[in-house]
Amino acid sequence: MSHVSVGQQLPEVRVRVTRSTVVRYSGASTDFNEIHFSDRHARAIGLPGVVAHGMWTMGAGLRVVTDWVGDPARVVSYFVRFTRPVVVPDTDEGTEVVYTGSVTAVADGIATVALTATCGDDAVLGAARVEVRVD
Amino acid sequence: MPISAEHVGRRYPAAPPYVVSRAKIAEFAAALLDDNAAYRGDHPVAPPTFAAVIAAQAWSALFDDDELGLALNRTMHTDQTFTFHRPLRPGDHVVAELSIEKVRARGSLDMITVLVDLTVDGEAVCEARSTLMHTRED
Repeated sequence: MSHVSVGQQLPEVRVRVTRSTVVRYSGASTDFNEIHFSDRHARAIGLPGVVAHGMWTMGAGLRVVTDWVGDPARVVSYFVRFTRPVVVPDTDEGTEVVYTGSVTAVADGIATVALTATCGDDAVLGAARVEVRVD
Repeated sequence: MPISAEHVGRRYPAAPPYVVSRAKIAEFAAALLDDNAAYRGDHPVAPPTFAAVIAAQAWSALFDDDELGLALNRTMHTDQTFTFHRPLRPGDHVVAELSIEKVRARGSLDMITVLVDLTVDGEAVCEARSTLMHTRED
């Protein structure tokens, strides 16, 4: 990857998430917190309804970088702040998370990519950044 | 006695190793809706954030430590960092060791930074650092 430069925008990734996706992630991750399948439990802690796992939102967003570099083994580090939950309505459409990335630094063969993740009007991840080998 | 800065540095014995499997990798990649070819085929690797599955299991040591007075349902995961040294692969026996790195009190909240070191045969494969916000019981 010889042409990586600061300011470069990575292709946007849009990920549709439904209740099925959330249930699937519960099983795959073994995180069975009730707020990820029960509206009743979600509302009990002040959420509007079932929410996606923060770790799902983080994991799904890494595709911005791994689709770009191809090999996920190139990822060196990944940081996110969980700012807002992704609320997933019980509909066929569910909701959509839109991820974008831009290169903010390149040094010693490692690019730093700033990620954004948006669901509706909400930024659902904050200060997200990935360091990835691009040599 | 609630968790405090006194507990910084506390380390917990690792649970028995977590064995990574091809089936679990496929399941996890499918849940992320990620069809990267690296997660399939004869020599798959795990999606990087699969490390969280193993790290989160190590968190139980924290909640099982009665001295800290932590409850899972009063805990929010506020940020997460991974440092990756190499990808996880089927057959890896991953040892996860949890330590308390930082504790800051803010009113009735405690901000707790925990570090989980993931190793395979003594080789560091990943560090997973998490900040947890815990609401103290009145």
